[in-house]
Amino acid sequence: MSAAAAVTVQHLVKKYGRLVAVNDVSLSIHEGEIFGIIGPNGAGKTTTVECISGLRAPDSGSISVYGLSPQKDRNAIREFVGVQLQESALPPRIKVGEAVKLFASFYSNPLDPDQLLESLGIEQIVKSSFKNLSGGQKQRVSIALALVGNPKLAVLDELTTGLDPEARREIWSLIERMRERGVTVILVTHFMDEAERLCDRLALINHGAVRALDTPEAIAAKAGGSRVRFVPSQPVDEQTLRAIPGVNEIERKERYVTVTGTGDLAGSLLNALAAIGVRVSEVEARAGNLEDAFIKLTKDDASSVGKGVQT
Amino acid sequence: MTGYRQEWMSHRSRVQFAELLKVQSKLALREPLALFGGLVLPAILLAVFGFIGQANPGNVGDTGLTIIDLWTPTILVLSFIFISVSLPNTLVRDREIGWLRRVSTTPLHPSRLLAAQLVIDLILAAAAVLIVILEGALVFGASLHVQILPFAVSLLLSIVELFTLGLVLVALVPTQSVAQPVAGVVTFGLMFLSGLWVNPAQMGDPLRTIMYYSPSGAAVKAVLDSAFNGGLSYAALVTMAVYTVIFGFIAIRYFRWE
Repeated sequence: MSAAAAVTVQHLVKKYGRLVAVNDVSLSIHEGEIFGIIGPNGAGKTTTVECISGLRAPDSGSISVYGLSPQKDRNAIREFVGVQLQESALPPRIKVGEAVKLFASFYSNPLDPDQLLESLGIEQIVKSSFKNLSGGQKQRVSIALALVGNPKLAVLDELTTGLDPEARREIWSLIERMRERGVTVILVTHFMDEAERLCDRLALINHGAVRALDTPEAIAAKAGGSRVRFVPSQPVDEQTLRAIPGVNEIERKERYVTVTGTGDLAGSLLNALAAIGVRVSEVEARAGNLEDAFIKLTKDDASSVGKGVQT
Repeated sequence: MTGYRQEWMSHRSRVQFAELLKVQSKLALREPLALFGGLVLPAILLAVFGFIGQANPGNVGDTGLTIIDLWTPTILVLSFIFISVSLPNTLVRDREIGWLRRVSTTPLHPSRLLAAQLVIDLILAAAAVLIVILEGALVFGASLHVQILPFAVSLLLSIVELFTLGLVLVALVPTQSVAQPVAGVVTFGLMFLSGLWVNPAQMGDPLRTIMYYSPSGAAVKAVLDSAFNGGLSYAALVTMAVYTVIFGFIAIRYFRWE
């Protein structure tokens, strides 16, 4: 995979009146990767991607999309950036085939509408009106409209919200196929399983700022931490446990001791305890996951002043 | 906006616009509010007045005109009113559901969507003119002694003025659910002022003056004078021009794509 930057955002700030929606966001998205933007409602995710898509003008900071400015080079950007907007519908009586063909006519080098619909598995609804489609079908049509211009960059906002699990999984495999075709994807989501499964890298945004930017595994390991629960053969004091590398938190409940921390927590913990002659039983270890990381990182922020706005 | 004209003339732009016209016309046929109000309703109304005219031959008061003569221009203007107030129905909806915004993420500016809608509505208005004139003249024997140029100017200015009023509604009305009652009230007011129920020629002042200087009353007066008096009704034309400028200013000032 090429490491060339498809999108570079530097010190992006966007305010709506007195509300600061995005406060100094910087990130860089590589060509061909699926880049996730996660964060709680009102964190500034949508505003960030709307600025990248050229739908909103930043108050300050700079954005480069394949070397172009979404504001100054609006027309050029629109040719190769496909956008799927949150909560955007089609006229109720337009037929799927008509909508996709119409959008194809807007671009200079579009994909073949029929082939696209087939690859999205919706060729059988070409003649259906938009208002008669199921939620999953509507989302696929929305993806088709974002892709029919043959974009280099696809921005997908809240793609699977409101879909049943089966439809979500189908949409996920569609996005994975987009990566295979070399399309750079920005995926805005608040589903951690979605981000973990699809994204090469993630930015966690909260209160308009980037809290973490790394691979899902790295964010999970760093912030979420692994957790080991065990029953020691004899009481172990707090100090001894704290001295073990990687240990962050210790919790005791009845016979159980639960330790959360980072790195190879279970390994170092068991070795250290064995060295002082403590045997352990009923060991239960769990690797850190993104959801824990998300909750930890956003909870850390909750103590500071919140000033996000949902757009 | 430099290079816009060039882009407009390009082959690709024409292909885009043709595709847009095609899809928008299909949608207009599937949501036939403008079609019904613009073509069917006027044809029915004209028939109603035609039969009333046949039952009551002779001139209306001292106007020197028969009932069908007198009401044909009113019904033409009604057709333009119905087409015009259907504009917010589709465009406000398309804005409300995010369709205009969705289109604005593509290389096509959403103003083209608006343009396509106006082209379709112009075609509808032209069809209405044909239908009403043919029906009036052939079926009910309206005695149009039309001088083409003044008649065409009066019709065209009526259409432009009333469509601009429709765009004011599109600009000011926030949602489709508000659009329907607002359009209803506006339609009712315009219908009354056009003289559908009480003909201004038979009214005394001040109602007659109010009707003559209203958006729809001026349109009817201009069309009527150009059809039967064989000339331009300057007061009515200037009235419409002033309304068009005011409406145009409001529509442009308050128009939103999202």
